[in-house]
Amino acid sequence: MTEIWTQAALWLALALIATLAAIWLRIATALSEIVVGTIAQLIIGAALGSALLAGDASWLKFLAGAGAILLTFLAGAELDPVVFRQQWKRATLIGLVSFAAPFLGCAAIALWGLGWTPQASWLAGLAMSTTSVAVVYAVMLEFGLNTTEYGKVVLAACFVTDLATVIGLGVIFAPFTIKTLIFLGVGAVAFVVLPWLTPRFFRRYGNRPSELEAKFLMLCLFGLGALATWADSEAVLPAYLIGMVLAGTVGKNHALIRRLRTLTFGLLTPFYFIRAGSLVSLPALVAAPAAFVILLATKMVTKIAGVYPVTRAMGSPRQEAAYTTLLMSTGLTFGTISALFGLSHQIITQAQYSALVAAVIGSAVVPTLIANAFFLPRHLLGAAEQDSSRVPDTPAEEPARRTSS
Amino acid sequence: MIRKILLGYDGSASANKALDFALQLARTCASELHVLAVARPPEFGDEVETKAVIENSRRHYEQVIGGVRAKLANETLTTRFDVVIGHPAEQLVRYAESNGIDHIVVGHRGQTLFERWLIGSVARQVIAYAPCAVTVVRHRPP
Repeated sequence: MTEIWTQAALWLALALIATLAAIWLRIATALSEIVVGTIAQLIIGAALGSALLAGDASWLKFLAGAGAILLTFLAGAELDPVVFRQQWKRATLIGLVSFAAPFLGCAAIALWGLGWTPQASWLAGLAMSTTSVAVVYAVMLEFGLNTTEYGKVVLAACFVTDLATVIGLGVIFAPFTIKTLIFLGVGAVAFVVLPWLTPRFFRRYGNRPSELEAKFLMLCLFGLGALATWADSEAVLPAYLIGMVLAGTVGKNHALIRRLRTLTFGLLTPFYFIRAGSLVSLPALVAAPAAFVILLATKMVTKIAGVYPVTRAMGSPRQEAAYTTLLMSTGLTFGTISALFGLSHQIITQAQYSALVAAVIGSAVVPTLIANAFFLPRHLLGAAEQDSSRVPDTPAEEPARRTSS
Repeated sequence: MIRKILLGYDGSASANKALDFALQLARTCASELHVLAVARPPEFGDEVETKAVIENSRRHYEQVIGGVRAKLANETLTTRFDVVIGHPAEQLVRYAESNGIDHIVVGHRGQTLFERWLIGSVARQVIAYAPCAVTVVRHRPP
């Protein structure tokens, strides 16, 4: 056990460094963890041998995999089911456009431009199709759009985009066999039963120090995850769907969600993201940087070409539509999950994985930099100039984004 | 005539200096005093974590604003307290525009080099884009 504890201590030291860097630089911890993992692998691997980090140890793979599953569940649980039911038609349209444009564009570029295999190209398309719901949510709050119809539709659309990505991940690379049918059948039953059973079960036995809620949820996630991988699919697919179907019940239990976040961010996701970073080959990336640049540019161009006209058609002002669309090009979690799925299933090579993860990291940084450089806060001046006579003495607009007054 | 003063407040030492200044100014001019705290998401965000940061940050600033509210409870001034989400400079300017603010008061404190490179100083951005006069109150530690 000494070796395992030593490795665990080393990984948690890296996680701590990554967290401190994220605090200092005001960036997402996941982003910091991927970069720290890449650098640590390069330095520790070169100095002391790659075995020291031991990213392929089974206990570490379990922690990392559990991190991806719980993170995906929590992402799905952020859905607002009431809004989604109200706006599902338009949300589905925008979400599918937001998914399909970069998915097809990046797959085409990978296939015909970079000469990747068809399977690797589809994987690249999936990894680059994602949207970070949370980043768009933050933008909606900033503009006070979260309570408007436009904001609700765009937010719901982001869930559709990510759902399309995880369904693609779970379906495209899985052979359709009797196992697939069993997985789909059991999954369908679970997704109908869980929203009914879970709140009743929690009301009857929950709210005790034994943390029954967390155990029950992890049982469902790991059980359906096992079934998914048995059917050669991907465990994050049922996790995201369970999150979505429980969003109206478990998702509203803020205390439980906070406890699950503590478990996920405190122990599990550092292993996932540092491992994802440690598998990146910097020498391969430096030797052939074109793939990374081309994939990132294609994602941004296709996302903007697909989503911007739709947001404009919905009546969003040009500057806000551009800002929202740019931030819909971000997507770290599901992009990394897709890339790691491709590497672990030998759909892509390590060089292709490195290019994809670099492009995914770029997609978390570059669109935000562009959006802030060109639209913050200059768009406010534009609005003020156009509307300089507007109600200077009336109470503040967008009261919904305020939390006290 | 200064009818409405906006104070950007984050609970820091320089913000407390700015509060003292704004309070004095509001008393002198018999102005309304608006106190705004801005909860800020990560610069480059990610799933789940961004929402968690926003929630934590919002809770923190509601406590911070609560302290100011208690401090001003015995004042006869008209006061208003808000917590919003976003970039501090952008939200201060936005609030000033939509509320007809005549004067903005902000504290000034050192930031990391990375933050300065990325977005510049909040005070500098407010000065650049504000629709009204701005006072920057510097805090010099003893």
